[in-house]
Amino acid sequence: MSETFAVLGLFDSADALMEAIPKVRAKALGRVEAYTPYPVHGLDEALGLRRSPLGGMVLVMGVLGVLTALLFQWWMSAVDYPLVTGGKDPSSWQAFVPIMFEIMVLFATFTAGLGMLLLLNRLPHWGHPVLQSQAIRGITRDRFALAVEADGAFDPASARSALADAGALEIEVLPVPAAGPMFTASFIQRSLAGIAAACVVSGSLLYWAIKLMPVLPPMVHMENQPKLDPQESSTFFKDGHGMQLPVAGTVARGFLPFAMTTPEQSAGLVNPLPRTPAVLARGRAQYQVHCAVCHGVLGDGVPTLTAAYGAKPANLHTPAIRAYSDGTLYGTIVLGKNAMPSYAADMAVDDRWAVVHYVRALQRALNAKDEDVR
Amino acid sequence: MNPEASYPSGLPQTLRAPAMTVGTVTPGSLDDQVLRFPAQAPPRKWYLALAFTSLVACIGMGFIGYTFYTGIGAWGNNSPVFWAFDIINFVFWVGIGHAGTLISAILFVFRKRWRNAIARFAEAMTIFAVMCAGLFPLIHVGRPWLAFWLAPYPNQRGLWTNFRSPLLWDVFAVSTYFSVSLMFWYLGLLPDLASLRDRTAPGIRKTLYTILSLGWRGAASHWQHYEKAYLLLAGLATGLVLSVHSVVSFDFATSIVPGWHMTIFPPYFVVGAIFAGFAMVVMVLIVVRESMDLQNLITDFHLEVMNKVILGMSCLMGYAYVVEAFTAWYSMNPILHHTFLNYISGTYGWAGWLTMGCNVAIPQLLWFRHCRRSYFWMILVALGVTVGMWFERFVIIVVSLHQDYLPSAWHNYRPTLVDYGILLGSFGIFFSLVLLFARVLPVIATTELKAILPGAQPGHGAHHE
Repeated sequence: MSETFAVLGLFDSADALMEAIPKVRAKALGRVEAYTPYPVHGLDEALGLRRSPLGGMVLVMGVLGVLTALLFQWWMSAVDYPLVTGGKDPSSWQAFVPIMFEIMVLFATFTAGLGMLLLLNRLPHWGHPVLQSQAIRGITRDRFALAVEADGAFDPASARSALADAGALEIEVLPVPAAGPMFTASFIQRSLAGIAAACVVSGSLLYWAIKLMPVLPPMVHMENQPKLDPQESSTFFKDGHGMQLPVAGTVARGFLPFAMTTPEQSAGLVNPLPRTPAVLARGRAQYQVHCAVCHGVLGDGVPTLTAAYGAKPANLHTPAIRAYSDGTLYGTIVLGKNAMPSYAADMAVDDRWAVVHYVRALQRALNAKDEDVR
Repeated sequence: MNPEASYPSGLPQTLRAPAMTVGTVTPGSLDDQVLRFPAQAPPRKWYLALAFTSLVACIGMGFIGYTFYTGIGAWGNNSPVFWAFDIINFVFWVGIGHAGTLISAILFVFRKRWRNAIARFAEAMTIFAVMCAGLFPLIHVGRPWLAFWLAPYPNQRGLWTNFRSPLLWDVFAVSTYFSVSLMFWYLGLLPDLASLRDRTAPGIRKTLYTILSLGWRGAASHWQHYEKAYLLLAGLATGLVLSVHSVVSFDFATSIVPGWHMTIFPPYFVVGAIFAGFAMVVMVLIVVRESMDLQNLITDFHLEVMNKVILGMSCLMGYAYVVEAFTAWYSMNPILHHTFLNYISGTYGWAGWLTMGCNVAIPQLLWFRHCRRSYFWMILVALGVTVGMWFERFVIIVVSLHQDYLPSAWHNYRPTLVDYGILLGSFGIFFSLVLLFARVLPVIATTELKAILPGAQPGHGAHHE
């Protein structure tokens, strides 16, 4: 027989249990614990249990929850990314109250539930001797047990007689459960195999979640759309191509047909737009969108974005370019030059001519004569 | 507590504390009666019912899958009615959940002992209802695999969620509500799971109960903390249950849509939620009581008390309707007048009349004791309330949206087959879960009920010291 953990006496009513407790406790044989199928009123006083500190714990964690929620919301919406909604100060706290309340409840609930189970009651505990006893079937049903737990010089026989005197119907002696060595070879082998299996499973799940799931339909982020992209085939048109030439005899808005293939053909063109502030503003906007990236905001060939391929954008203020006719400038936009591609597809006809006006204004501004100042 | 012992014996029957159980119920017989179900093979009618509800659930899942694949254009929602079935169903299901928390938390705080027999089932229904509710905002975002964007987490976009948006409050409120309900339910289940563990023969079932019961052994030092935790959770859940539907109502009340911008919305929504939830609990409890022979534990008294709650809530709903209409009239705002006339006339006028008929008129039957105790009338009222409360949300959401300030934007709403399919499917999911719960876990909180049986607590017997 191994060492004794406790001696357990069984009673069949809460009244009998309550009567027995003072009698057994008076003998002072060891710590007395009761086991009941449901909470019995007055048991904690009878056993002299300390008051549960859970209320204080929950209060502290609830306050902490409120402060955490306030701090997080304030930092996120007033400091890290100030967000003005409804004209309110980003740090106004009133709108944070609902979430502060929810987080308070969340913190307090988990403190009450898990704090009670894990901290105060030390559960889960599957190896407790009482769970191995014969009495446990009655305890979780309709029996009441009183246990005298062994400590120091413990005499099971006197505990037995104390419980019998107090009116216990059945008495059971609980041994301390035998604890085998923990790190046996098979335990280590099984643990390693378990860890390896967990790694394989979680790794493949993670791979699936990150690599495969986002590209499986329907999670394709609107890639499938009922429209034709360039180079796509089409079942609608007879020739099977998605890209079609304009219908014969039609002209797209803003795109006058002009069969211009060489700079010489463009040289004689005349700018059809008047030189008004509105046109210049339009030219400036278009210049900044399409041209300034390489030619620079001043047109001096100092790019706002360094061309990665090493081409050297032209300085628009050189005498050669200042001597270009409007038509030649226009032709350069349409046809491109050296490393510069054609912008015909990106800019409407009027936009190109407006840019020509704006380039002229830039050239004039950087090479101003005395009479311009006057 | 023994009611016979607490009152002088000469007290007339009507003034005595009502018996919570019928016949002789001892802790042992209670276990044998309630805890035998998980160990038994379910009857054939259970399989039939589960087959039916899971078929319905599968149909709903199919429609949800179709929505994922095609996008929410498959629904009837369109400008200006951007919220329709999805949000109606969300509000409806969250509301159903409220009865469980009310029974388990508020009635616990008020020490209403009739809650004990019905609390477990009502709490389970809360959890299942909130699961159904959570489904709808998820599918409403259109691309639910990105729904984690609702959470404020540090991301490569450098953005945070908008904490001033009631929709975000809703995310927090509903997820907190679910977590707290789950915790509450599990704590209540813990001692019952230990009872199940100790009466089950070794096997996979016993292993499962052993793990889930965490080695609960009923020690007095544990009960002490347990009771404290339960009381604290009840107190917290009391505040929470009042806040959740209030926050849901903020989704509407903080906007400027005529008919939504009302200060009465938070209490009005909470009352409606409890109302609808109790109706659902009554319906399900009747089925459980009859099919599992629990007439001695879920007594006529329990049903009658719940019907009284329904009646009280119905009167409050009527009051809320009147106050809402008065507010609209008193505002002297012609657009608001138009919206409220729209509730009872116009394209969807029938829905307004249906709402008021089902929620205010029909429950008045419960003034009669006969109706509070007759299954026929109870089920009639409960069904009416369920339908009425669904249509109340329809009226609030669709009717308010379809005609607001800009007449050129007015447009009628017409749900599609997909909308109906998903609504139906959510009922299938809910009842499938309820059926599974009824056969897997104890449907009645045996531990709680044991503690209030006559003679269960010391100090009322003859040898009181």
